[in-house]
Amino acid sequence: MDLVAGWVQESLLLPALYAAGLMEWEDIAFGWALFAVYGAVQVALTFAVCLPLERWRPVERWPDAAAVWVDVLYTFIARVGLLPLVTFVLFYRLQTALNGALTDQGWVPPTLERLIPVLFGHPILTFVLYVVILDFAEYWRHRLSHVFTWWYSLHALHHAQRQMTFWSDDRNHLIDDVIGFAFATAIALLIGIPPLQFPLLVLVLRFLESLSHANVRLRFGWLGERLLVSPRFHRAHHGVTAAGLVSVNYGAVLPWWDMIFGTADFSREFVTTGDPTAEEALATGGFFVQQWVGLRRMLRG
Amino acid sequence: MFKHIVVALIVAVLFSANAEAGGSVLVMNSSAASLSVIDIDSQTEISRIPVLREPHHWTLTPDNRELLVGDTVANEMLFLDPVTFAVRRRLPISDPYQLGFSPDGKFLVVTALARAQVDIYEAGSYKLVKRFALKSMPSHLDFSPDSAMVFISLQGTDRLAAIDLRKMALAWDMPVGRAPAGVIWHNGKVLVANMGSDDVAIVDPRDGRVTERLKIGKGAHTLFRSPDGRQLWVNARIDSTATVLDPKTLKPVRTYKLPGGPDDLVFAPDGKVWFTLRFAHKVAVLDPTSGNFTTIAVGRSPHGIYLNPLGRATK
Repeated sequence: MDLVAGWVQESLLLPALYAAGLMEWEDIAFGWALFAVYGAVQVALTFAVCLPLERWRPVERWPDAAAVWVDVLYTFIARVGLLPLVTFVLFYRLQTALNGALTDQGWVPPTLERLIPVLFGHPILTFVLYVVILDFAEYWRHRLSHVFTWWYSLHALHHAQRQMTFWSDDRNHLIDDVIGFAFATAIALLIGIPPLQFPLLVLVLRFLESLSHANVRLRFGWLGERLLVSPRFHRAHHGVTAAGLVSVNYGAVLPWWDMIFGTADFSREFVTTGDPTAEEALATGGFFVQQWVGLRRMLRG
Repeated sequence: MFKHIVVALIVAVLFSANAEAGGSVLVMNSSAASLSVIDIDSQTEISRIPVLREPHHWTLTPDNRELLVGDTVANEMLFLDPVTFAVRRRLPISDPYQLGFSPDGKFLVVTALARAQVDIYEAGSYKLVKRFALKSMPSHLDFSPDSAMVFISLQGTDRLAAIDLRKMALAWDMPVGRAPAGVIWHNGKVLVANMGSDDVAIVDPRDGRVTERLKIGKGAHTLFRSPDGRQLWVNARIDSTATVLDPKTLKPVRTYKLPGGPDDLVFAPDGKVWFTLRFAHKVAVLDPTSGNFTTIAVGRSPHGIYLNPLGRATK
């Protein structure tokens, strides 16, 4: 994959940047190429594993699965195209500008390893700790998106899907994604985020998030479901009775935070998904219609 | 039996002597948060040193006793033993990208590409003497031989900046070409490789005026002088070439095609030239006479490369 990213960078991106007079971005472009290639592999891997699972033991069968196609578009935007680009241009610039401003005041932002020196020289252990911290932060970001009415108005787009599949993970309002990036920036300032160092592990984590949305009757067993978020566990979060300002099972990869903070519900079997309070356009509309309706809903409060 | 032991001992001594004589190479894997150690004789990677985030470039202290490697995203300078590559200490420093000591050994100049600043540190104590906010993307640097000036390419604004190190003030800031990168002092002039075009600009160090442009190849990126001073090398990233210039006439002598994005290079005592290939995640070892090269796999996006002919690489 690294070689493919290198090829994309050398054969496609660099000549394009050169032609566009944007060669000053060539270093950052490699990060984008790497993420885009890993993103494409994520999509391919998820498709190769989850599609047979969904065909094998589906929770639901739909005569017409047209509503799924917009989720496919969301996935490609999030994993291959727009969002990796946003990450490596906007996010990178924002992070470095904030870091620079802090450095100007004489404070060099730390890294997790500098805060916990025993982690020096143990990159895998460090990454595991990053995963735990980031998943903890993601639990609270997600939970808060269900607390505030305006925020849930955006997040309702994610919940409105009645035909939930492995493609649904990236079905988000773009403003919701921007808030997510701002949240990640804040954490990056506190502990640093090293995703480029571990693209393979990031790939596995993103796969797990996609799998948790899959339309498949899959349990991880009593213990397994308390270690990792399973499709059954996360489906309870997408259930019609869990949509809105009070929900359960907010965890993305680890169910631990739900268990600790009292929001875990392991009792629900494979429930019906969707948000009965959301406009029909959020469930079955096209990409732009969904974005517009989500924005309008947020502005109306 | 005794004879066999003696022969074995002689072979062992010779082998170990060769290993020491061959030295070792350190490669900064900028997107893999690691440093690759390569044994020159066997041309194999024998160990990988983990670092925090993004190691890019290096410099030796004026007394050659420490090798400094900048880790940009980690805001950290690593101080290594230049022979064994053991990490001796770490110092918090803002975004150290390119770095170099002034020839008089008084100052360490560090460019922070992402933060649009150039920091001047006192050598030895590494206390910040002055910070210059320079827009934008301060990248490569070189000094005038008298240590009076440091020249810095500003990749994001197509300019070259000159800082007067005696007055600690910006002397000038002039346009030199699209996305300037590599900078080198040469025969009373400053040469600047422009990534966004196909040329190297020849700049008058007194006022920053471009007096001439040398056509090199698309994406001209880095400039290096061979240890004997008889060659100037220019690497171009779009064309994936390394071009040798005659230092007197500045005319191209020979061009080598090196697929994979040749970036930094270093000269080995045996005459070979080692390149980092950023996009192939390899190091190329070029025999300039034949034009043949071999490659060695290293970490992702290898950038800076350092060679110590005496380096005793250890596993």
